[in-house]
Amino acid sequence: MTAPTAVLQLQDISRHRAGRPAVQRLNLSLDSGQVLGLLGINGAGKSTTLSMIAGALTPDDGQIRLNGEDFLERPELARQVIGWLPERAPLWPELTVIEHLEAHGRLRGLASAALCQARDATLERLDLTALSRRLAGVLSQGQRQRLGLACALLHKPKLLVLDEPANALDPVQVSALRTLIREVADEGTAVILSTHLLAEVTAVCDRVAILHEGTLRHDAAIAGTGHEALEHTFFDIALRGGTGKQAA
Amino acid sequence: MSVLAVTRLELRRLFVRPLAWVLAALTLAELAWRFVLLLGAFLANQIKLGASPSGPGYTDLVAVPMLSSLLTGGLIPFGLIEMALVIVPLLTMASLAGERTQGTLPLLFGTGLPAWQIVLGKYFALLLWLLLWLLLAIAMPLSIAHGVHLDAGKLAAAMLGTLLVLAALAAIGVACSAFSSHPAIAGAASLMIGLALICVNSGAQLAGINNGAINWLALSTHLETLLRGIVSTADLMWFVLVVVFALALATRRLAADKERG
Repeated sequence: MTAPTAVLQLQDISRHRAGRPAVQRLNLSLDSGQVLGLLGINGAGKSTTLSMIAGALTPDDGQIRLNGEDFLERPELARQVIGWLPERAPLWPELTVIEHLEAHGRLRGLASAALCQARDATLERLDLTALSRRLAGVLSQGQRQRLGLACALLHKPKLLVLDEPANALDPVQVSALRTLIREVADEGTAVILSTHLLAEVTAVCDRVAILHEGTLRHDAAIAGTGHEALEHTFFDIALRGGTGKQAA
Repeated sequence: MSVLAVTRLELRRLFVRPLAWVLAALTLAELAWRFVLLLGAFLANQIKLGASPSGPGYTDLVAVPMLSSLLTGGLIPFGLIEMALVIVPLLTMASLAGERTQGTLPLLFGTGLPAWQIVLGKYFALLLWLLLWLLLAIAMPLSIAHGVHLDAGKLAAAMLGTLLVLAALAAIGVACSAFSSHPAIAGAASLMIGLALICVNSGAQLAGINNGAINWLALSTHLETLLRGIVSTADLMWFVLVVVFALALATRRLAADKERG
């Protein structure tokens, strides 16, 4: 029996930004249904890593494989495979919630009937039905995050990339987000979640990876690791630049 | 299909923003006023014009001058093309620079679309808006075509020339927007390039040079023949070259965005 192909494999990817190495020789892999928490202080390289995974930024070096295929050779894989919520959920302020979903659906190549079905289901799932005719420009930050998440989930991606999705959400919305992430993962979607919140990671993730100065310093399963142990590891890396990469 | 998706998105954004509507309303009102003045002058000179059967008619004195004052100067200095020098940069300035400012450009990259599809999608949307604008403007002189003698061939050539100018200005606008982080800078650059292309040969013409390379560079040289009703492949190719060159530059710059981050 052959092992299942990982949804995402990063092999030695590196990227310079503003003249300094933002990500250096990063190796990661993620299987279907797995939730990976990506931790790191500001400037650790989390957003750069996620932008490369989402196809918005090209690595200087290394390889990204999606479902075993070379993503850099075939960037069009992003259309069906990846759903991405960038930091601060950028939106077109003059378009309504429903127009956002329709535009994203068309850009992802959904046919009309499938688009209508996916749009209505996603609006309901993200509790956006009541806001569907509202302009994105007048939404609160929490509502914007939900709309961004809806756009990322619309086409049922195999890999969901979330860059600080809990930003500006109230505690009730954070709880709903955690439930949603677990549901999506249970449906077989691999999720990579960048966050500053250690509690977020222990609550929803199966694995945690810690980046520091663009390098992977820690990669381990969450199971059996308490919040305090994770906090200790994180602060050791963040404050003292500790290493000690562990096998997942 | 992907180009069409970008075109639909851009058209939707154009039509829900007030800018496009306000520009269309104001410019069409100005053109309507221009039409009334041109028609009034044409009617007032009927006796004089009737004396020379081979002289200029409705097409030369009303329909074509609606599009440009390049040949006629005349009553009101600004025809549709002269207005387009300002209108097109206003419409195109935010097409890519705005996406960059709002942070939505990575979203488009994240859908796996190559840069050329994003550029073409946006360009086609702008072109459709400009085509609609041109059709609404030309509907004014055409509305009384049944009562006058209209030179359909000459008007068609002038419309083709106008459409090509709009296409070239839109391509230049999209390119400027691709190269700029701020829509206002893109708009100003696009306006300056458009003006430069119109009058780059003014100095040479004043010096009596009419066949130099600098005249070939000028947009007005190629537009003038089309406005006179003469369609030449060389002129058409000039416009095609400008459009392809500008869109290729825009694509290259956008692709570099993804590389540079």
